[in-house]
Amino acid sequence: MKQRLIVTPDLCTGCRTCELACAFAHSVKGKPGRSRIYPLPTGKHEMWTPVVCLHCDDPACAKSCLVDAITRNEETGAMELDNDKCVKCMACVAACPFGCSLHDAQHDLVVKCDLCGGDPVCAHFCPTKALTCRPVIPTRRKAVV
Amino acid sequence: MRIETPQQLTRLRKDCLARFNRHPQKIHVCCGPGCLANGAQKVSDELKKVIKKKRLKGFSVDALKETGCHGFCEQGPLVVVEPAGTFYTRVKVKDVEEIIDKTIRRKEVLERLLFTDPQTGEKIENYRDIPFYARQQRIALRNIGQISQCDIDEYIAVDGYQALAKALKKMSPQDVIDEVTTSGLRGRGGAGFPAGRKWSTCARADDSPHYVICNGDEGDPGAFMDRAIMEGDPHSVIEGMIIAAYAVGAHEGYIYVREEYPLAVVNLQKAIEQAHEYGLLGDGILSSDFSFDVHVSRGGGAFVCGESSALMKSIAGEVGEPRAKYVRSVLKGLHDKPTVLNNVESYANVPVIIDKGGKWFSAIGTKKSTGAKAFSLVGKVRNTGLIEVPMGTTLREIIYDIGGGIQNDRPFKAVQTGGPSGGCLPESKLDLPVDFDTLTEAGSMMGSGGMIVLDDHTCVVDLAKYFLAFLVDESCGKCVPCREGLYQLYGLAVAISEGRGTEADLDKMEKLSDTIVISSLCGLGKSGPNPFLSTIRYFRDEYLAHIRDKKCPAGVCRELIRYEVDPQKCDGCMACITACAQNAITGKKKEVHTIDQDACDKCGACLAVCKRDAILVL
Amino acid sequence: MVSLTINGRVVQANKGEMLLSVTRREGIDIPALCHHDAVEPFGACRLCMVEITKAEWDGWTNYVAACLYPVEDGLIVQTHSSKVNELRRTVLDLLLARCPNSPEIRQLAAEYGVTQTAYEEIPDADNCILCGLCTRVCERLGFKAISTVGRGHDKVVAPPLKEAPPDCVGCLSCAQVCPTNVIQYEDEGNKRTIWNKSFELIACKECGKQTITRDFAEALSSQRNIPEDYFELCDECHRRELSVKMGSIVSWSREAAS
Ligand SMILES: Cc1cc2nc3c(=O)[nH]c(=O)nc-3n(C[C@H](O)[C@H](O)[C@H](O)COP(=O)(O)O)c2cc1C
Ligand code: SF4
Ligand code: SF4
Ligand code: SF4
Ligand code: SF4
Ligand code: FES
Repeated sequence: MKQRLIVTPDLCTGCRTCELACAFAHSVKGKPGRSRIYPLPTGKHEMWTPVVCLHCDDPACAKSCLVDAITRNEETGAMELDNDKCVKCMACVAACPFGCSLHDAQHDLVVKCDLCGGDPVCAHFCPTKALTCRPVIPTRRKAVV
Repeated sequence: MRIETPQQLTRLRKDCLARFNRHPQKIHVCCGPGCLANGAQKVSDELKKVIKKKRLKGFSVDALKETGCHGFCEQGPLVVVEPAGTFYTRVKVKDVEEIIDKTIRRKEVLERLLFTDPQTGEKIENYRDIPFYARQQRIALRNIGQISQCDIDEYIAVDGYQALAKALKKMSPQDVIDEVTTSGLRGRGGAGFPAGRKWSTCARADDSPHYVICNGDEGDPGAFMDRAIMEGDPHSVIEGMIIAAYAVGAHEGYIYVREEYPLAVVNLQKAIEQAHEYGLLGDGILSSDFSFDVHVSRGGGAFVCGESSALMKSIAGEVGEPRAKYVRSVLKGLHDKPTVLNNVESYANVPVIIDKGGKWFSAIGTKKSTGAKAFSLVGKVRNTGLIEVPMGTTLREIIYDIGGGIQNDRPFKAVQTGGPSGGCLPESKLDLPVDFDTLTEAGSMMGSGGMIVLDDHTCVVDLAKYFLAFLVDESCGKCVPCREGLYQLYGLAVAISEGRGTEADLDKMEKLSDTIVISSLCGLGKSGPNPFLSTIRYFRDEYLAHIRDKKCPAGVCRELIRYEVDPQKCDGCMACITACAQNAITGKKKEVHTIDQDACDKCGACLAVCKRDAILVL
Repeated sequence: MVSLTINGRVVQANKGEMLLSVTRREGIDIPALCHHDAVEPFGACRLCMVEITKAEWDGWTNYVAACLYPVEDGLIVQTHSSKVNELRRTVLDLLLARCPNSPEIRQLAAEYGVTQTAYEEIPDADNCILCGLCTRVCERLGFKAISTVGRGHDKVVAPPLKEAPPDCVGCLSCAQVCPTNVIQYEDEGNKRTIWNKSFELIACKECGKQTITRDFAEALSSQRNIPEDYFELCDECHRRELSVKMGSIVSWSREAAS
């Protein structure tokens, strides 16, 4: 079932638990990886928001990847990056308009959110439910006023 | 003019034959590569001039045929007066007038131009009686030397394209494959894979289109069988390919010709044009619904381009490097489509097989290697040239009966078959029948048919060094075992030849060879260590002499020999003094000369000029 | 699905899959220097050779390159038999003679027990093992800026005419995939130099951080329709921009509600 991370900025306190959870969930050989999610101040009302990959419908990361290392996981809906295929050209890092393809300098890997294979760890750990995960139920789109 | 029916072809054949035999006498001038190098073109031009000038009755320039390689290159330029078969050797421009005056006008034979049998000292008039020819059986080479190089009418006169008509009109593709399978024909390009099996796999492959390719890359140094066929009888190859294409359902084919063979390209292209004109290529061949066209593709100029996957990449316009694949090219070949690749000689055999039947073919040769095989016989043998013998003929028959034995009656040492990555067989193997499996078992291989005869002046370490150097040079450099391994193997051979080798090096070389054989990507690497492996197998003592005694028994490896003057024999003629570029030889006229060992660079010039055998190699 | 036995264990694999990808999935360590998933298998380093047989082969075994051998039902594979290890040892020994100074080769060779090459070291060799990954990856990216030149032992990787390659965009992929880190480059100031060609690095218009070259960005814009202004900010500033945008949306909706 396709998943979607739901972000509710009103609830985010900037505690950065999600960031920690993500880093540990993406450890490489026992060492935590670079987090794919970043709670950042919004600059309004002392409000924070977790910034994470939107798994866009027309993703710039995948379009910019000339070796097709980023593809959609049809099961989870996530845009996943295959590190065995990635040649670290940084095109996706430069192209994503939301900055959600990142270079993990410590492991020298290009990384991005993969929805943890369909069960995002960050959402589990978010103490305020600013991050939740819900299956995408195909509905008719409502017109936004 | 298009030929529409087999009947028309038969009629045309009659016309052609009548024209072909119009002259009671014909002059064949061999214009094969060997004879051309010795001035055959000048002889031919002079003949034409003289014939025109003399205006003989019943004899015109049309009776002169410039043929492909007649075979006996060593005796060239060759001129043969048919139908008597009068065989003139080493013909020069100044002999031409006399040939016309005596042999053509008065039917007299010119004794001095005849071949002398070295055994009996007798002159032999008809080439068919010369042992060099008498022992041969020519199938693939059937027309070469008998018809003009590139004349479809003459090809048709000698039954050309009859097999194609038979295949198209009387046989189904499966019948053709069955006939080839019955014949037992195995590929003549090296590995000896059964052609019938290859064709049948391709014919059954689902993917389309199918292709047929002819391998005319002939990269083995000294080999020229395929060249002789492509230049001298291009139609036999084309006919073979059309039949193959019909059998496997291909509509397009390529002939991949080695870069160094421009004449082959020209002749093949001419032949293709002629075949198109007669409707033997193109759409609806002989009014059937079978269409086929063939293109000539120029080689990429590297030995490895003869390897099947490299060749197909080269035809597709990519770099001719082997591609590692565990799916056979007969299923995924050119453009990843099912492809039949066969050698020039393999195709040249096909029309005869269809014409006379697979049973006829399989009765020739041995049980598992049927038919005959062409060889280019070169090296220290008396009669060098192009030959074709039934499979199973022994090496001894080839070298002594056809080849006339070793030059200057020196002892035979070894025969190298299978090209650079083939192997050397010693005297004890001379009675082996030449066929695919026996040669492989003995540690050599059939290869495409190069046969180099070596006498006692050949050092096997030096020989291995020579072939390894060739292979190091020709390795495409893609895979590590071949690129680095052959390079190291060569380096170790050099060390031995220079007296720097150890017995441990031999073990190292054997182990390294094993890795190269097992792990190289393509056939070049896999067979690359053969020059070492086959010589160490039969001539280990000679390697040990280099290592332990620091001696080269054959007197070849420069670092291990020295030249000295035999005071008993030297008559002080001073010939060697003049020949020595290093001024290493001193001595007065009529006094024994001496060689200054420090100045001598062992070039062997003195040895070559001394008429009294007074230069000793120690 | 096909089922095969690797080192005594029965494993499942997808039809058409190569042996190497199966062994990797199973966590078996096979050296494979010329392989990268971004490009087609090449079969040049020969280090991934494994021993295969089948029950019906009557004890006959074969040695094949795992990177391009498609799995078959009933295949019995040994990835580290003594013969296989010996083959790898010899190949590594040969590589060590070619690149005696490469730390990567030294380490791998040491793992197979070779600390000093038994062969003649090649004079003034560099560390390139001619695996062809750089040229193949560059071709896969569509730039074809570099290629191998020459053949056999004298083969080298080089740009056309050994001059600054006109088609190079300075993406660094070649240097990134090189197993022996031979390909040199330098990022200094706003300039990147590789293959003797200089490139302007795009600096983030907020913070100045550099990610890719102008030439590469232009190639991506024109070939892949990525709007050029996407490249004006670095990833970090992009994220910040997004958070600010989200803040505005939230406060706008609050205002609308009140
Ligand atoms: C390095 C190498 C070079 C080869 N060169 C030739 C060649 O020059 N001519 C040829 O016919 N086959 C050559 N072969 C063999 C071909 O790969 C192929 O087996 C052959 O053309 C198939 O035709 P056949 O079955 O009729 O022999 C070569 C093979 C290798 C490995
Ligand atoms: S960095 Fe990796 S994933 Fe990103 S575009 Fe380049 S190859 Fe693709
Ligand atoms: S065996 Fe030699 S010629 Fe064949 S692919 Fe390897 S390096 Fe090239
Ligand atoms: S940096 Fe240049 S040569 Fe290297 S992969 Fe990118 S475009 Fe090709
Ligand atoms: S430079 Fe590196 S990637 Fe390129 S062929 Fe050499 S070793 Fe392989
Ligand atoms: S990884 Fe298979 S040959 Fe290099």
